[in-house]
Order: sequence, then structure tokens, then C-alpha cells
Amino acid sequence: MTPILTFIPKLSMSAPAVPVSDAIISPNLSWAGLILLLPLVSLVLCGLCAAMRVKSKLPAVITAASLAGAFVTSVFLYLNYEPPGEVIPLLDWMNLTWGEGRFESFTANFSLYIDSLSLLWIMFVTGLGTLITIYASEYMEPDLGKGYSRFFAGVSVFLFAMAALVLSDNLLMLYLGWEGVGFASYWLIGYYFERPAAVAAAKKAFIVNRIGDLGLALAIYLIWTTFGTVQYDELSTIFAAGSMNPEFEGWTTSAIPFLLMLAAFGKSAQLPLYVWLPDAMEGPTPVSALIHAATMVTAGIYLIARTYQFFLLEPVSLHVIAWVGGLTALLAATIGMAQHDIKRIMAYSTVSQLGYMFLGLGVLTTYGAAYHVFTHAFFKALLFLTCGAIMHGFAGQLDLRKISGLRHMKGWRITAWTMLIGCLALAGFPLTSGFFSKDAILAEAFVTQGPGFEILGWMAIFTAGLTAYYTFRVWFRVCAGPASFEPGDEQHDDHGGAFHPHAPRFAINMVLVLLAVGSLVAAVPYFMSNQADDRLVGGWVADMVHDSPARGGIPGFSETHAVHAIADSHEAAAHAGEAAHPTLFGMDPHAAMYWISGTVGIVGLLLAAWLHLWRRSAADAIKAWLYSQFWIAWLPRAMERKWYVDEFYHAVIRAPLWILGHIFYVFDRFIIDGVCVDGIARIPRGVARWLQPLQAGAVQSLAVVMAGGAAIILLLMALFMQFGWFGGQV
Amino acid sequence: MLGVLLMVVPLVGAVAIALSPSRAAKGIALVATLAGLGIAILAAIDFSDWGTGGWGLEYNLPLLPAMGISLALGADSVSMLLMLLTTLLMPLAILGSWTAVSDRLREYYGWLLLLSTAMIGVFLARDLLVFYICFEFTLVPMYFLIAIYGSTNRAWASLKFFIYTFLGSLFALAGFLYVAWANAEHAGAWSFAIPDLVHFASTGLTTGEQGWILLALMAGFAVKIPLFPVHTWLPLAHTEAPTAGSVLLAGVLLKLGTYGLFRFVLPMVPAAVVEWAPFMGVLAIIGILYAALICWVQTDVKKLVAYSSVSHLGFCVLGLLALNPLGLQGSVLYMINHGLSTGALFFLIGMMYERYHTRDMGTIGGLGSKMPVWSFFMVFFVLASVGLPGLNGFVSEFLCLLGTFAAGGTGAYPGVLGPWFAAAAALGMVFAAMYLLLMVGKIVFGSLREPSGVHSDLPADLNAREILVLVPLAIGCVVLGVQPDFVMHAIEGSIADTLASYPTAVTDATEILVGRGGMP
Repeated sequence: MTPILTFIPKLSMSAPAVPVSDAIISPNLSWAGLILLLPLVSLVLCGLCAAMRVKSKLPAVITAASLAGAFVTSVFLYLNYEPPGEVIPLLDWMNLTWGEGRFESFTANFSLYIDSLSLLWIMFVTGLGTLITIYASEYMEPDLGKGYSRFFAGVSVFLFAMAALVLSDNLLMLYLGWEGVGFASYWLIGYYFERPAAVAAAKKAFIVNRIGDLGLALAIYLIWTTFGTVQYDELSTIFAAGSMNPEFEGWTTSAIPFLLMLAAFGKSAQLPLYVWLPDAMEGPTPVSALIHAATMVTAGIYLIARTYQFFLLEPVSLHVIAWVGGLTALLAATIGMAQHDIKRIMAYSTVSQLGYMFLGLGVLTTYGAAYHVFTHAFFKALLFLTCGAIMHGFAGQLDLRKISGLRHMKGWRITAWTMLIGCLALAGFPLTSGFFSKDAILAEAFVTQGPGFEILGWMAIFTAGLTAYYTFRVWFRVCAGPASFEPGDEQHDDHGGAFHPHAPRFAINMVLVLLAVGSLVAAVPYFMSNQADDRLVGGWVADMVHDSPARGGIPGFSETHAVHAIADSHEAAAHAGEAAHPTLFGMDPHAAMYWISGTVGIVGLLLAAWLHLWRRSAADAIKAWLYSQFWIAWLPRAMERKWYVDEFYHAVIRAPLWILGHIFYVFDRFIIDGVCVDGIARIPRGVARWLQPLQAGAVQSLAVVMAGGAAIILLLMALFMQFGWFGGQV
Repeated sequence: MLGVLLMVVPLVGAVAIALSPSRAAKGIALVATLAGLGIAILAAIDFSDWGTGGWGLEYNLPLLPAMGISLALGADSVSMLLMLLTTLLMPLAILGSWTAVSDRLREYYGWLLLLSTAMIGVFLARDLLVFYICFEFTLVPMYFLIAIYGSTNRAWASLKFFIYTFLGSLFALAGFLYVAWANAEHAGAWSFAIPDLVHFASTGLTTGEQGWILLALMAGFAVKIPLFPVHTWLPLAHTEAPTAGSVLLAGVLLKLGTYGLFRFVLPMVPAAVVEWAPFMGVLAIIGILYAALICWVQTDVKKLVAYSSVSHLGFCVLGLLALNPLGLQGSVLYMINHGLSTGALFFLIGMMYERYHTRDMGTIGGLGSKMPVWSFFMVFFVLASVGLPGLNGFVSEFLCLLGTFAAGGTGAYPGVLGPWFAAAAALGMVFAAMYLLLMVGKIVFGSLREPSGVHSDLPADLNAREILVLVPLAIGCVVLGVQPDFVMHAIEGSIADTLASYPTAVTDATEILVGRGGMP
């Protein structure tokens, strides 16, 4: 056994009292509340549009304008930001006080906590939100006057909730955002509410997320009963001082990270709770891009980064995160390889990439995870939006076997080439943004010591190869090769004649180009020199993680703060003395990873080119051969059927509960109500018939019960008074 | 005097209805209940003891001085809130019945007004007999409302409702009388004043006596709440009752049970509560999970919502048993919030029933395209009920569970429940999402399914009157979801009073256990 993260000691009670963040209360920054207020205004206006049956694009204009306003506000906030952090009170929510002590008040208000971590998130959330709204203004055109307002109202709700989640200064407001984005997701997945599959997918998303929310709720209870507060700045101070409630030391501090993890796995679609995300593709594509690829699903990573101090207290939780992330990445990639629906491939790819981010969190690189969140937001949103453009233009066609050679078709060139950029970034092609962010995680898996982390690292590299393969399988099938297509089944038969694909127009193309540029430029922050601390590596994103509780997981960084021991020993294990520094092929893991992952990516790409561009028949032959060999046929079949996870849940959880519900209902009606209640009720009735066989009506039995009851009571009273019953029982 | 007026105005309305032609009945009822609401609001503005735990609206008319019986009324902040809830729901219930009830109008509105008097009487009573008489008298109007205006199985449902709750409260009466008798023995004079009896019972009774009192009182209140396993009258009564009956049953009558717990059980018999809280907590949790799973397999929407009350009230009881301010705050808020959101759900189901004469999710569904306004409200109140943060249900559910969770600790208010109780109950959050979303998934979403050959004079979607019924409730849900603070501060004092004897009671009980070696 290798030493298992032994460098993380339990928080010592005598740690020096230097807080991570001395958050400044800044009521004069309350204009930052606009980030929350603008989407709400937009929600109300979209609601009014819906009520007044507006038939123009007004709702889209309102939403885009207010989200742009929120983005501008975020950027201003960033420019005004000074470390270490600021608390901006907005509105009271819950304030209870029943004593003086720490455990005798409960405070959770609507106030913002601004540090670089929340700024990083809010800027890309509002920025992408604006772009995707502009895209959706064109994409949702067929629904003008029908669901158009409802759609943009949902987007506004989502942005509000996401902003609340990211900017909150306490765990309860985070919970509000957390459930709020889940609700927005429910709303938008179920947008086509007359389609049963959409309704079922929406419900599934909400319920699976609720299981995660349960973890978050329990974590909040546990954090409050252990630390007496749910506010980040107070928690940081407590961590700095090391003054926990001694009574709860032990199992609670160990349980908190696992409960938070459950929440994160639900929201960010990790094993075992990822099943809702692929189904969520029933929603309109802009929703898939915004919520189910770029922003909401990264909330789990945000949560863990935000509460990273709890995880550092319990090393095992980090091991679990790393392994769950790595396994999810691999599993989802294998499923993605076997799907034909391009949107579903992208969905599984999202699950897989989120797995990488969790792997990063687990191997102590919050910076790598955050950087991958950042780059992934651009290229995955881009990929989804190109899929959406294709779906929009080809009447809902998403089967990669039925469209080919898009780049040769008139009006589709922008879509095809921007998709290539997205694919290159996703595949981790050298020098793209995805290449740098993925490497930051992969290399760290070889640096950090942990149970089987090296195996995990190789597994992740293998997964990177699979990623390149399935990504380019899509591109070579859909965009390259000879031009041909079959339309989908959502034809609007208004012109009656042959189907003509309608190519995307200005709004969609503009957003695609902007996102493609974003996907490329997202590599630049990696090379920006670090401002926050000279010892940092990793550029701007590392800077942004630095001033937050997540800095305990920045590689190679150490400073005297509450968990200084952790960072110190991390540094000792990782970057101090060269002897202790793990190497890969005699190189620094970071340097080696450039070569390894670059090679793996190109191999995957070439394999895809061979099977899906140059020799498409070979791919079919291989597939047929695989299915014909009994000893291996189970593998592609299981991959295509998503490893039967849904079936497993149905058999193990849903069906038993359903049966239990029926058993309870029968029990309730026939045993509790039938035998017990009615059985007892029959006694006075029988007495009534015996006493008064005139009419066995309701009023009679009622009267008898009343008289009988009163008699019993009087008897009891008399007995009380006579003997003073019960008096001598103690 | 305002307190008397609150009870008298509906009575006057009932008399006026009895004396006037039947076409004037609903108008009179509406005026009387609106007047009641107006007086209640005035009383709330006039009330000076928000937050302090003091009493207002006091009125005392000795009836039988020899026995210490008087018509004593008064309200603290908690009574005040529940009284406001009642007077808010009353005019809405009458507006909601406007077209649904067409025969025997005078009786219908007369009974509703009498019910209103009785419910307000329960919340304002400061004399035990006044409380008990009002508590019991609520059964009579409700019995007739169900028996005359209910659906097919109404006779059996109303009878069962009556006998079941009546029998239960006879035991409560026995308990109350024992306390009064013991107090008379002790003090040398009879008194039925609630403060005297509460003070005497909590200090002058032995733990053994308190146990029996607890049992007797719980026999009455647990049936009313209703706590598992004495809940079976509720799904039947709810399903058969007319819309206004269901609304008031869920909105107010169930709260009489939890109010009884808050006002009598907790302060009167602290030692026994400490002893029995874990047991009752387990019953509440069973109720939460058991009823939730039953909801999930229902096909009748109204029965689904009825069972959901059993599940929801479990949280409310758990909050009370947490024995700390967090839990009690959550619980009192829960009483209000459940009244708003579940009341509204019953209104919505009634509106659907009036149009389609069915409540079966198998034959009706996908109303979202046909009734967008109705669907909007349906989804809204389901979300409030499911506990979406930002709406009211979340705040109360969260505080109940947090209080329960923290009840294992040793702060100023040590309790006897703890993390495991909260964790088990919290599963109810997931189940609630399962059955409520199943319901909206069927009746609101999907393709339109309507029973054929149904005629209704009402427009396809809601009319202005129906929207007017729902809007106040929706506003309440949002306000209490975003700004629960003012309510929480308002009831702080009353909660502290109710909990006054608990820190010692719990410590004593724990010490006894430690002494016996029962607890590490």
C-alpha cells in the first residue's frame, strides 16, 4: 500500500488563527444585486408577455438584454474586486436568535459573497447565458406566440437561480439556487409538455436531483449543528481558529463531505446519479447547451470547491471523488461511443467531462477542475449549439448515420467549421483549450499520492483517447464525407413539397462564431502570468481559485492559513525535494502529459477518421463482427443499452417502492381502517342494535356512541375522584 | 371586544341567512366572512404583543363562578396567526363554492359560518371548557357539510369522521377534567382558566400522572392531526367532502390538532413529552413515509392530496417534538403554510371537478394546453407544497427538520430526537417530489385527455372569481417564502413561553437515564 494521502492531518485545534478570508462587509456594493434582480425582472416581463399573448420576439429581447446587463454587472464587480472577499447584504430571509451562544441563532439571508471563485463562475454563467439566449431567439422561432415567452421565462428563472447558487454567502441561499436550477431544469426539459418523453425526462431529472438535494440538506443540518453557522465567512473563521463544537468532532466532520458529495453527484450527473442527464436532452437544444452542458451541471464542482475545507478534513472523501469521477468519465465515454443520436453523444460526453472535473477535485487540483469547467463551458456549449442548428435545420434529425458531408452544403459551412473547433477542444487536440485544462488534471493524478491514483491516471488517459474517437466519429460522419441527408420527423408541412433544410441565419451563426472564438481563446488564460502569488502556476484561472476556500487544492501552492499543514505537506509530497517528486517516463508529469495526451488524442482522432471517414464500411463490418461473437457481443450491446443502469434502478428502487406503496395502501384500507377502526366501530353498533332494535341508522349509532362515551368518561371521573388514580405511579 | 366580535359576526351572519331567502345566502355569507377578515386584520394591527409572548384580544365573562368557568378569550401571536389564516380562508371558501353548490344553500352557508365561529373559538379560547366546546362543535357543521353536500360515499365518510374524532376527543376531555380536578384539589377552588391549569399541570403533577394525561390528550389531538395510525378517517372525509369542506378541513381543522399539541400538550406535561417524544416522533416519521408512498399509487387526485396531508403534518409534529425554537418555529409556520398551499390545491381540484365531474387521473389529463391559467396555479402550489425554496413550504419544512436534527445536541434547548429522526423524515422530501410531480405530470402535462359528454356552464379556463380565490393564497406563499422573518419574529415570544419548562425537563430526564445507566 502506498501512503494514502497521509499528508492530510486532521485539523488541529491549535492551528494558528489566521483566517483564510477576512471578508469585508460591503453594503456599498449592493448594485451587485442587479445580477440577481435583472433575471427576475426578465421573468416577470416574460410572464406578462405570456399573459398578453405577445407574438413577437419581445421576450427574447428582454431576456437577452437583462442577461447582458447581468454579465456587464459581473464584469464590473470583477474589476472592482479586491481580495480576499466581500459580503454584500441584500435582503433578510431567516434570522432566528434565542440566546447568546453560537448555537443559539440561525442566520441565512439573501446576501452575496464575492470572492474570485464566485466571480469566475458568475462571469461565464451570465456571459454564456446571454449568448445562448441570442441563439435561442432564432432557434425557438417555430414557437413564436405559443411557448416562446414560457421558454424565456424559464431561462430567466434559471439564470436567477444559478446566480443565487454561485453568489450566495451562505449554504441556505446556495440551496435555494441549487433547487432553483433543478426546478428551471424541470421547467425547460418539460418545455414540450405534450410530449410524454419530455414530461417523463423532466420528472426524472427533478427527482434524481432531489436525492442529491437530500444530501445537501442533511449536510446543511450537520454543518449547522457542528459549527453553528451556515455562512461562508463565519465558517472560514472557524476553520482558521479550529474551534469546532468538540462534541461533534468525529463522525460529523467525516460525514459532511460525503453528504455534500451526494449533492454534487446528483447535480453534476456522476455515478450513481447520472441517469437523468442523457434523458434531459428532451429539452430544447439551447437548454441542453446552457443548463445541461455549460453551467448548471458544473454546480457540483462549484459546491465542492466552495466547501473544499470540509473535504480536506476527510481524505477518504477525496479518494472517493477521484475514483467516482474517473469511473464516470470512462463509463460515460464507452456509452457515448455506441450511441447514434448526436445530442445524446454530447450528453454522455458531458457526463464524462464532468467526471474529469471530479477527478481533478479528488486529486487535489481544484484549479485544474475549475479550468476544465471554464474551457468545457465554451466548447461544449458550442458543440451542443451546432447540434441544435443541425436539428433545427433538418427537422429534428439527430442520427449521425442519416446526415453526412455538412461542410459541403450551402449555408452550413459555419456550422461545420465551428463544430470542428469544438471537437478539437473536446478531443484535447494539442494547443487547444481542452488540451491544457485536461492535462492539468491528468498530470496531477500522477503527482498526488492516493489509493490507485496512478491506475486512475492511466484510465483517464485511455478515456481521453476514447473521447477523441467518439468526438470525431460525430464530426467525420456528420460534417465530412459525401453530402447527403434524410430529414427528421418534425417537418412543418406548410409548403407541402420536398424537404429543404433551412440553414442557420445570423443570430445562430454569430453565436457559433463567438463561441468558437471563445473555445480557442480559453487557452490564453493558461499562459497569463499569475498576479495573486508568484508561486502559483496555471495562469488566470489559478488566480481566480486562489482567493477562495478552494485554494487548499491548488498544486504547488502553500501559504500560512488555517489548513496550512495540508498545503505544506502537499507541497512536501509533491513539489519539495526532487526525490519525492513523482515522475513519468523520467519527466515532470506535467511535461510528460503534454506528449502522452496529445498522442492519445491524435490516435483517437485517426481511428475515427479511418472508421468514419475513409472506410465507413469497415466500421459497420467491425460492428457486425463484434455483435456476432458471443464472447464479446455483450460489450457493445451493454454500451449501446447504457450498461442497463436505468433498468437496474427500476428493478432495485422504483419497482419495490411502487409495490410497497400498493401494499401500504391495501394495508391502510383493509387492516388499519377495515379491521381495526371499523372493527371497533362495530362494537357500539352491535350494542345499539341490541339495545334499540328499532332503526339501525346513522343518527342512532351516533347517539349511542356519544352516550356510551360520556358514560365511560363519567365513570373515569368518578374513579379519579374516589381513588385519586395515577397519583402514586412514580 | 374584538375577540367576541370575531366569533359573533359569523353567528350573526348565520342567523341572517336563516331569516332570509335562499338566494341571498351566499351574499350574506360573503359579507359576514369579509367583515370577519376585516376585523381580524384590525385586531392584528391593534395587537401589541407581536414577538413578546403576551396576550391580547382579552375578554372575560364569568359564567359559573363556582366552578371557575368563564367565557374567557384571548390571543397570543400564534393564536393570532391561525385566526388570521382561518378568517382568510373563510371568504375564499365561500367564493370557491359560489357555483359548485346549488341546493339547500341556506343550510350550506349557515353551517360554514357556524364552523367559522367554532374554529375561531378554538384559537381564542382561554378557558378550557370554551376550548373544548368549540373544538367539538367544529365536528357538527363539518358533519353536515360532508353528509349533505359530499360525493357518493358521503354518509359513511361523514359518520366515520364524526365518530372517530369525537371518540378521540372524549379521551382528551377526560384528561382535561382530571387536570382541572387535580388543580381544584390542590388549590381548593375550581378553575378552568387555561393559564392556571397549564401552570399547575406542568409543576404539580408527577411524571406518572403526566404520562396518562399525555395519552388522553394525544388520543384527541392525534386523531385530529392526524397522526399515523389514527389517520384513516381523513382520506375518506377529504375525498367525499365538498371543496370548501376539504379546504377548511385541510386548512384549519387539522391545525386544531397541532395547535392543541402546541398550546396544551407541550406546556402542560413536559416530563411526559420528553419521555414519549421519541415514540411519537417515530409515528410521525412512519406517517411521513408511509402516507407519501400511498400518495404515489393513487389515481384519485383528491385522495392523493388528502394522503399528502398525513405526510405533511408528520413534519409539523416532528417540529413540535424537536422541543427547540427552530423546530417550533418551523412547526407553527408549517401550520400556516400547509393551510395556504394544500387549501389552494383543494380549491384547484374542486375547480377541475366542477368542469369535468371526475377526479380520476386515468380519465383526465394534459390540461396544460386547455387550461393554462389553472395549470399555472396548479404547478405553482404543487411547488409550494413540494418545498421549493423561495416559496413558503421550504422554510417551514427546513426549520422543522433542522430543529429535529439539532435536537440531539446540548445547546440551550437540548432535545430527545436527533439526526437520525431528521434523516429518516428528510426522505419524505424525495417522496413528496415523486408523488406531486407524478400528479402534475398526469393532469397538467401530456396530451389532452377529457372525459366525454361532460357539460359545465363554466368557461374552459378559470374565470375571474376563481382567480380571485387563488391569488391571495399565491401571494401568501410567495411572501412567506421570501420574508418569513417577520412571522418568525412575531411568534418568538410565544414559542419561548411554550418551551419554558423544557431545558430542565430534558436535562432531568437525561440525568435519570444516566443515573440508571441507560445512556452513555
